[in-house]
Amino acid sequence: MPFADDGRDPLERYSRQMRFGPLGEEGQRRLRSSRVTICGCGALGTVLANHLVRAGVGFVRVVDRDFIETHNLQRQILFDEEDVASNLPKAEAAARKLRAINSEVVVEAVVADIDHTNILELVSDVDLILDGTDNFETRYLINDAAVKLGKPWIFGGVIGSEGQTMTIRPGLTPCLRCVIETSPPPGMTPTCETAGVLGPAVAVVASFEAVEAIKLLAGKLEALNTELIMIDVWDWAFRRLKIAALKDRVDCPTCKHRTFEWLDGKQGSHTTTLCGRNAVQVAAPRGHRLDFAELAARLSGAGEVRHNAFMLRFAADGYEFTVFPDGRAIIKGTNDVAKARTLYAQYVGN
Amino acid sequence: MPTVQIPTPLRPHAGGLDVVEAEGATVGAVLEAVVSKHPALRERLFEGGELRRFVNVYVNNEDIRFLEDLETPVGERDEISIIPAIAGG
Ligand SMILES: [Zn+2]
Repeated sequence: MPFADDGRDPLERYSRQMRFGPLGEEGQRRLRSSRVTICGCGALGTVLANHLVRAGVGFVRVVDRDFIETHNLQRQILFDEEDVASNLPKAEAAARKLRAINSEVVVEAVVADIDHTNILELVSDVDLILDGTDNFETRYLINDAAVKLGKPWIFGGVIGSEGQTMTIRPGLTPCLRCVIETSPPPGMTPTCETAGVLGPAVAVVASFEAVEAIKLLAGKLEALNTELIMIDVWDWAFRRLKIAALKDRVDCPTCKHRTFEWLDGKQGSHTTTLCGRNAVQVAAPRGHRLDFAELAARLSGAGEVRHNAFMLRFAADGYEFTVFPDGRAIIKGTNDVAKARTLYAQYVGN
Repeated sequence: MPTVQIPTPLRPHAGGLDVVEAEGATVGAVLEAVVSKHPALRERLFEGGELRRFVNVYVNNEDIRFLEDLETPVGERDEISIIPAIAGG
């Protein structure tokens, strides 16, 4: 309790926010006693964490599997050149910065790859889950966990200059799978590595997510978003797609039939370290053959690509990818399973 | 004529256009006219006459799954949008 001794009102630092009528002092007190987990601490995650820690959410857990690289600094607002030089994991560097911003908030850093074995533990003791990830594999896993536990979560995604977000309250709104039944197969969807991404686009989407989080945690449920929001900061486009009616119309395997394929480990990628080869195999079964010509076109801006009918070879950032038509890939240049999954999501996509 | 909004990742397969106009009385007919004009779009949108499972289509901001799917009637001023799932972050 850093402010307890100096006789000042601990809520004083939030005065400008509390004066905002719809939130008020009562809303602020509720924020203070709230707990969130932010899954992923990259571009979306750093903006989310920054807003929520400044806003005075009582407990913030940040989970991320990566280390900071120089090309992250363009958009991952909690990091600086010193963090890159110190070779810090993102979760740890973010936590240090967040504690310096607001020492009243309990910030927990978890350096881990979120998967079906650890997700329930990471989210079961919080009021809200926030999406700061960069891939649909983890998002469907979050969705499974959220629906199973009956916990709200906020989805956000960004690419180039555009992004989307929706607020999911199991039992009350459609879930991610009601709205986006399945994501495009690897290679058919652009990623931030292949199509680029603007920092302000990320900041806008994450800020919408953060406002939703504040409303939800402060109990201002009537103000929550019930639509799929699409934003393009380059074209000045803002669209609200009506999705509320999907809840009872869709025969959703997740929220209607309560089958949790990602949580049960039946869906999603499986990784194996290839011993002594400094390589990791990532198997991402999709029941869909990759279109190499399309993937090659997408990757051509990011590195050197060659392909024939049997495999596609691609080199970038000092790693060599060999991708097979069924979506399986061998990534050379690392023994680290989490790193390989990151690279797969970044370049092949899932 | 109804218009079809083409999402960024599909624009290279639609001659770089962000909006395509096409004739048709239903969503299915309009999309068929669009893929006839831009054949590279066909396999990205359809699989054996059905929309691919990851393709989400909206008419005037409503998901066609709770209208009448590809049979949803459209008029002169209706706007059909293909909404991509955005992966990054
Ligand atoms: Zn659902």
